[in-house]
Amino acid sequence: MKRQLALLDFAMGSLRRRAGKSLALVAGLAFVVGLFGSALLLTDALKREYERGTEAMPDLTVQRLVAGRPSLIDAAAADALRDIPTVREVRPRVWGYFFFRAIEANVTIVGVDAARIDGDPGLATGRLPRAAGEVAIGTALGELLGLRVGDELGLPVDGEMTFSRVVGTFGAGSALRSADLVIATPAHARTLLGVPEGAATDLAIDLTTADEAPVVSARIAERLEGARVLDKRLLRRTYELTFDTRGGLLAALLVPALAAFLLLAWERLTGLGAAERQEIGVLKAVGWGTADVLAARIWESAAIAVSGAVLGLVAAYLYVFWAGAPGLANALLGWSAIQPPMELAPSLDPVQAFAILGAVVVPFVAVSVVPAWRAAMIDPDRAMRGAS
Amino acid sequence: MSRRFVPGRRARWALVGAGAPFALVAFVLIDAARLTAARAGRSASVARVTETPDLALSSSARWLRHPSQSEAGAAFSDLPASLDVDPAGALLGPPREVLEAGAPEAVEIRSAR
Repeated sequence: MKRQLALLDFAMGSLRRRAGKSLALVAGLAFVVGLFGSALLLTDALKREYERGTEAMPDLTVQRLVAGRPSLIDAAAADALRDIPTVREVRPRVWGYFFFRAIEANVTIVGVDAARIDGDPGLATGRLPRAAGEVAIGTALGELLGLRVGDELGLPVDGEMTFSRVVGTFGAGSALRSADLVIATPAHARTLLGVPEGAATDLAIDLTTADEAPVVSARIAERLEGARVLDKRLLRRTYELTFDTRGGLLAALLVPALAAFLLLAWERLTGLGAAERQEIGVLKAVGWGTADVLAARIWESAAIAVSGAVLGLVAAYLYVFWAGAPGLANALLGWSAIQPPMELAPSLDPVQAFAILGAVVVPFVAVSVVPAWRAAMIDPDRAMRGAS
Repeated sequence: MSRRFVPGRRARWALVGAGAPFALVAFVLIDAARLTAARAGRSASVARVTETPDLALSSSARWLRHPSQSEAGAAFSDLPASLDVDPAGALLGPPREVLEAGAPEAVEIRSAR
């Protein structure tokens, strides 16, 4: 212990003597870990956010395909499915998109029966629409159009302006899901979207036994020609795979940056200066063993690696969760006009944090071992004379 | 006579400094737990209303807005949320004129104030 403390003391002194080089390595490492960590933290948080929402999906969603494209489905088709064993409820849904020229963006209009919603619907002000001519809107949309509760929003339907009174607005806290939403009653959504009476966008099906979903899906496909059935459990598994793949791809793109940095570190650590060689020569001449020189060099590398990696992790965390990942999020989310603030819930546990740190610290210390060993093997007499 | 070993000033600082990374990691983990408690599930109530898990991160294209809905002929033609060919919206969007073609006229707003 005493020996290691003394070696640590020496290592810290060495780092201080080469402060410029040490700080450059710490900054480089922090930058690489910051990039790598930001991508991982962002994709992981998005994945968890999606997972939290999958519970709200109906067990099965039935769409109708015509000529290979999604089409409106006959709402009466619901009656043909209600007698399938384990089917608890079949709800024809009306929802769709509306392009707003004023803001050059699509908004999502969803028909919702307020009586079906128990618990808090996530509104910041007002209530959900209960009558035709009422709507609740998302925060980002409200801000872009300057709408508040009590205002009226007129949308052109069949050549005439149809006005809807805003009766509720979603809060900024739920903007991740509500930014571009316009919630209306199913009948009013039908009017706004121009969906004919008796037609629906899709059918939502709840089952008494979720495990029966594959069997029920097969029965639905038999009964409804051109039906495409989406299974909630399948979707959950797909999200898992998709985000792991996406996150992996993003991280893989950054691997060359990490590899390049390790190469640079190797080159820096290998190239001992004349002063360092002389220093090692003196140390060995006064009785330091090879193991001591090796240990002191490893302490130096470990101090740089841990400092850089931890600073990088903290920077990545602050960038993604405090600053909302500006730049990275914009690049990922494209050219949409309505973008909610990226206020994601972190999904970071100690294992993940130490895995990110370990992925950088271990290879960095490992690449420093060989140069350290080479330095420790220098003949003291030759080293003091300045020979390589 | 044996002398008691006294670690150098630098080593003592290093030992103190060794605690700093742990403190920083602890700060990140504690803050992450705080933010998770404050933010997780805030928008889940909206998912209950709309019955879709999808995030309103990009309303630029319907397959990005609703990856849970597979769309024949679009990015998710085979499987909901399957890997799309378009890297999440692409850096370059289509010309606005293309989107505006066939779109209804401008909306009107009547203020209650």
